[in-house]
Amino acid sequence: MLISVNTFWTILLIIHGLLAVALLGALTHQAVAVLMPVRQAAAAGFVTRFRAVPAAGYATAVCVLWILTFLMGAWIYTKYRIYVRIPIEQAGYWKTQGFFDLKEHVATLGLVTLPAYWYFWKNAHNPDYDIARKVVTVLIATMCWFLFLVGHVLNNVRGFGS
Amino acid sequence: MAITSPVMYVICVLLNLPLFTFHPATNRFAWGWEAARSGEGPAMYWYGWVATVLIVGLIVGIVATMLPASVTRKIPLALVWLLPMLAIPIMAYTLMPFWTHP
Repeated sequence: MLISVNTFWTILLIIHGLLAVALLGALTHQAVAVLMPVRQAAAAGFVTRFRAVPAAGYATAVCVLWILTFLMGAWIYTKYRIYVRIPIEQAGYWKTQGFFDLKEHVATLGLVTLPAYWYFWKNAHNPDYDIARKVVTVLIATMCWFLFLVGHVLNNVRGFGS
Repeated sequence: MAITSPVMYVICVLLNLPLFTFHPATNRFAWGWEAARSGEGPAMYWYGWVATVLIVGLIVGIVATMLPASVTRKIPLALVWLLPMLAIPIMAYTLMPFWTHP
């Protein structure tokens, strides 16, 4: 075999993490853009440029990234259940494990919200959807931050390569 | 789909209604809910819950596209974000044993 089994699963975990970083970046840009839209382009600083992204252009990328990150997470979850969760429980990190279980629920709730999110952004010029589009975008951005932070902390529980 | 799926997901988790159970140690699938077998490691239900929700959500979503506009206009758009928001604390509550474990 070209690489060891451990290396294989570590590579998948890193891909899952990188996809999550890309998703987090896209969603954060979009959420800030809808919460604090830039009314006029002027000589701008970093924060204004961060807000001034064309938010509608992120919608499809966000959906694709969420689905890919979800699928990668679901794949590595099979190994997590046996090789990570059991030692975490044996070590008594119950709240940490609770947050992981909440992460799987939040990731699913975010996944099923994507069709509406995508539809609202594909009809970004329809003022009827303005409030729903804004709230859904901020909601899934918040979900994404939660998922990312929980995943990051869980990854640190046992340490890299352990 | 975005309105029915969070409700369906909460029901699936509370009533434990996975489409299938996955046994990761043996890579074995079983229809519906199945307890972990002795000597075969843990059983996973999350994949089954997700599958149930996606199938039901897809069917309801397709049916919803066939409804007349006079009906769909009466469905509050706020449900799209309100229901997932409400589902999160319920899911957190179902995990109470983890939060209160000594």
